[in-house]
Amino acid sequence: MSGDELTAEILRNALCVAAEEAGIVVVRSAYSTFIVEGADAAAAILDAQGRLIAHSLSTALIQCASLRGALPYVLKSHPPDTMEPGDVFVLNDVYQGGIHANDLLVFKPVFIEGVPAYFTGTLIHVADLSGLSAGGMASDATDVFLEGLQLPPVRIATARGLVDDMVRVLAANSRTPGKLVGDLRALIAGANVAARRLEEIAEAHTPEGLARGIAGYLAHTERRMRIGLAGLPQGTHRGGYRLDDGHTIRVAVGVDGCGGIVVDFAGTDEQVPLPINSGFSQTHGGVLYAVRCFVDPALPMNEGCFAPVEVRMPAGTLVHCTPPFPGGGRFGTVAAAEEAVFAALTTAFPGGGGVAASGILQAFSISGARRPWLHMSFDLGGMGARDGHDGPDATGALFGGGRNIVPQAEPIEARLPVRVEEVSLIPDSGGAGRHRGGLGTRTVIRMLDGARVDTRGDRLLRPPPGAAGGGPGRAGGYYRERADGTREPLGTKATRQPLDEGEALVVETSGGGGYGDPAERDPDAVRRDLADGRVTREDPR
Amino acid sequence: MGITLASDVGGTFTDVVLTGADGRVQVAKTLTTPDDPTIGLLRGVEQVLAATGVEPGHVDRFVHATTLATNVILERTGVPVAFVTTAGFRSMLALGRQARVEEERYDLAYERPEPPVPLSHTFAVPERIAANGEVLVPLEEEAAALVADEIAALGVAAVAICLLHSYVNPVHEQRLADIVRNALPDGTPVVTSSSVWPEMGEYERATTTLMSAYVGPVMASYLERLSARLRDLGVTAPVHVMESAGGVLPTALAASRAVYTIESGPAAGVIAAAREGARRGLADLISFDMGGTTAKAGLVRGGRPGVTHEFQVGGKGSFGGRRPGTGVPIKVPAIDLAEVGSGGGSIAWVESGTLRVGPRSAGADPGPACYGRGGGLPTVTDADLVLGYLDPDGFGGFTLSAERARAAIAEHLARPLDVGVVEAAAAVHDIANAQMGAAVHVVTVRRGIDPRGFTLVALGGAAPTHAARLAERFGIARVLVPPQAGVGSAVGLLYADLAIERARTFLAPVAGLVSCSGSRDALGGLARVFDDLERAALADLAVAEAVCVRSVGIRFIGQAHAFTVELPSGPITPETVQRAAEEFYKRYQESYGIELRDPAELTTARVRVVLPSGSRERLAAAPPGGADGTGSRRVWLDGAFQDVPTRERAACAPGDELTGPCVVTEPQCSLLVPPGWHGAVDDHGALLIHHEEPS
Repeated sequence: MSGDELTAEILRNALCVAAEEAGIVVVRSAYSTFIVEGADAAAAILDAQGRLIAHSLSTALIQCASLRGALPYVLKSHPPDTMEPGDVFVLNDVYQGGIHANDLLVFKPVFIEGVPAYFTGTLIHVADLSGLSAGGMASDATDVFLEGLQLPPVRIATARGLVDDMVRVLAANSRTPGKLVGDLRALIAGANVAARRLEEIAEAHTPEGLARGIAGYLAHTERRMRIGLAGLPQGTHRGGYRLDDGHTIRVAVGVDGCGGIVVDFAGTDEQVPLPINSGFSQTHGGVLYAVRCFVDPALPMNEGCFAPVEVRMPAGTLVHCTPPFPGGGRFGTVAAAEEAVFAALTTAFPGGGGVAASGILQAFSISGARRPWLHMSFDLGGMGARDGHDGPDATGALFGGGRNIVPQAEPIEARLPVRVEEVSLIPDSGGAGRHRGGLGTRTVIRMLDGARVDTRGDRLLRPPPGAAGGGPGRAGGYYRERADGTREPLGTKATRQPLDEGEALVVETSGGGGYGDPAERDPDAVRRDLADGRVTREDPR
Repeated sequence: MGITLASDVGGTFTDVVLTGADGRVQVAKTLTTPDDPTIGLLRGVEQVLAATGVEPGHVDRFVHATTLATNVILERTGVPVAFVTTAGFRSMLALGRQARVEEERYDLAYERPEPPVPLSHTFAVPERIAANGEVLVPLEEEAAALVADEIAALGVAAVAICLLHSYVNPVHEQRLADIVRNALPDGTPVVTSSSVWPEMGEYERATTTLMSAYVGPVMASYLERLSARLRDLGVTAPVHVMESAGGVLPTALAASRAVYTIESGPAAGVIAAAREGARRGLADLISFDMGGTTAKAGLVRGGRPGVTHEFQVGGKGSFGGRRPGTGVPIKVPAIDLAEVGSGGGSIAWVESGTLRVGPRSAGADPGPACYGRGGGLPTVTDADLVLGYLDPDGFGGFTLSAERARAAIAEHLARPLDVGVVEAAAAVHDIANAQMGAAVHVVTVRRGIDPRGFTLVALGGAAPTHAARLAERFGIARVLVPPQAGVGSAVGLLYADLAIERARTFLAPVAGLVSCSGSRDALGGLARVFDDLERAALADLAVAEAVCVRSVGIRFIGQAHAFTVELPSGPITPETVQRAAEEFYKRYQESYGIELRDPAELTTARVRVVLPSGSRERLAAAPPGGADGTGSRRVWLDGAFQDVPTRERAACAPGDELTGPCVVTEPQCSLLVPPGWHGAVDDHGALLIHHEEPS
């Protein structure tokens, strides 16, 4: 390894570590339970052209895409020459790259030789910022204003500290003002740490060295990304996926065979006045996730991955909402867009048997009916089986993550007036097939105080289908369990459902679809499943 | 201080050192006997006793580092274990807290790692304790007895129990353990989470407990066998085993807390490096420990090895850490380091026209081809010998056959690749260096740390041969080769103190502990927890008195992540807690840049009890002995063979200068000083070499 190569590699890693450190700072200094137990935070470093340079590893790709998508709008409303050292900006506008009201994006310019040359960005789901339901998961929000306080890019801090008037407005619009301000501080702290690191890196490598190193890094990634994309079957490949409510995402993936692809959602259904639409940055992140599943998985995630992928998202459709259509519950739509891309690309390969769909994350929030407390979380569905592989149980399919972002029972109980009675795999929930779908989970949370519940799920009315002759996964759902043990369904997108003290919320996630003819399943695999209790009967249904 | 024996059992070699009151060190290197490691170990003990004439009965202490626990977990060779938890949570281990990181995220055929216990061996009993310790549902004894019978029918060798909130109230775990124990053959270990690591967070507590049960019986029988064999030899000294954070444990504890010893061997190397550096005023070090089977790199900054509480066995690394959710989390403190499966015994092979090295090792049996013990496959050691870096006449006490090394390389590498034997050997050496580089890379470059200001400390039989070339890769300009570098980890053991850490969740707002009114109860509670922990830790070490360092976890109320802040010794008062809070505010501000004085709470009480018992003497440099030990050998350097001077390390006197190219040989290792490097022998016999033009 030459000295230059070593320097370049140290620089690349230092950038990634800076983003990683920012993410850790946010998680460690935040208050929202979503973040502190689930570590659901994102941090990124971008340049003044809006190019993504590095992001923290805990970052889901859709969060990363949001930071990348929003920066140009920050720069549009606050041109670089109006920025001062110490400035920090915040926004949440879904039409300007944001996600929904509760996901706050914070940006800090990093001045190199007097000019804002780079930006550090952080993003988390804050505890509460107004809107119909505490926690921001109202599934009956018919427009964006019902989702919560709308923030275009505004200055939230300067070199003199927080902009107090802004903070007062935000706090006044939160059901949990203390936590909100704490979370805001955490976001700014994360952006500050990454900015400080970036300044140190610029000093160690000189500004020119830094710029050169970044350019080389992004170009190298792009070259590798293009090599991967050039290996996809040439032509236009189509796929689709239908949401629970019958709306359909349609996609055509055009592969030029030379390293470029065009992902076009023309023909996708129109947006609806409910929060199931997706903001453009979210769909873009989902597409990148899906496409990256077909190239070298070791590629770093930066602008080099975005550059060769053109994504066409017709405005006013489910995948690109426009004012005033809401986008808070976008993950069902984003996951559908991903499955559509999987379907298109998988069937394009010779002998491709299609893709068994996966159960997706199912979010819920529980808030105090009389006292202000709030629990937000999600559970994960089983992954679809693949040719040659059973689907993994309850994993973060489609968004990357994994179960380490699901909080444990003990810290929840130590913090909130609830009792977690069960967290378990649901037997027989994986779709039957030569390869079985992954299992879904059941979580039972008993209320020790009057509460209201919001739910947000999909693939519950139309469970994840199997492929190549495999069966669908078992449909999950949300339920209210009365004190006497009787169970009644809550809606898959229920809002502020009362749960009295002594009643429980039951969250069941969907199993993944199976792959191939169940009759061809290896008898040893069936015996193992029986012994483990993953299935309860020998005959595949 | 009396006579101490120390032994580090590696994958290929077993190192034994003995030191007495005069600080002189006697060393033996024997081949590891994998089927029963005590055989090779005892062989070494006999050698050093015979060489020094020390009576076995006069040995005061035997310190041991073993990779047994790690190997058992990684190779899944522990005893069959059953796991019991609270009803409703039987899937806890199968569900896990797995993270899909980096490439796994994009793997459509992703498969989750198998849970450490199959679901068929996992049970749940009706019972429930609340977060405040209150019993909500009493343990259903009949159900528990049925579970115990089912477990007995499985014929498991150990049982792990982790019930919800047992860290605050262990009564159900203890009762259940009794019931299960009654159903099992006498002596079957039943391990409760409240006894192993009573901290909040059921998953990590469960895996830590489970691994204790899984490894414990294997460790216990190994240590019993070892102690018995030592006794047969007349060595009756207590046996201490190194734990992952750099202290040592008595045998009984090492067996019941086997998870504490997971990084036993590697930790010894980092401790040795830190100590050797400190002696020479070097505080920023990279310990590089290369043996026959693996190589490890650890970072020492400001004189202190990094310690982590978030250790993941078999975890996937990223940016120098093992990411949470990628392996089996073990909640005990461990020295942070990186390991690659490549060492002197790694086998070189050709795969579709490409030269590969490792991860398979020739180990001790049959060993590298040049050992002449029946091994026919070429290894890194064979390549080093062919290149002239090793002395054919002496390595670990036996001669090396260059003929056999050449033949193995010719047959398995040179011929298939259609290159010369020497070219093939040089390529193997370079590839090995690159692999060593990966370990150093993980602890430095991947964390954004520039290694160029650090000193590389070479330990282990193969390290001195590769250290300078490895340093060059990173622009590291200084390499330290301590005395007895070839058995460096074993030497590190001589310095280790008896130590054990215990912790327990203790949730209490700081305000309630420092206010005048009503603070007595809470303060008393904290003092009691510390007393209990301290008493338990002293009992662990079977001593009455020791140095006790108390610390607390502290965080802002509503946050999840705590800082660890040390408390002063003496009584717990409102002032000591207030000072801890002030320290926390200060460190929070330093770490996050947020000046905040919101209400804080204590989360954990932690005690580390240390009984200074390691050797305090400076080891004396062996006086230069025998002939002048100089000679010359043909050595492959920069593409050609050159005649370079060689000298024996035993003949090196303090102040002697070394100028590359040269080779310094000693019985356990061989230092290659390439062109461009020079240095000197210091007063304590260490070789410190510098690169003239750091790249």
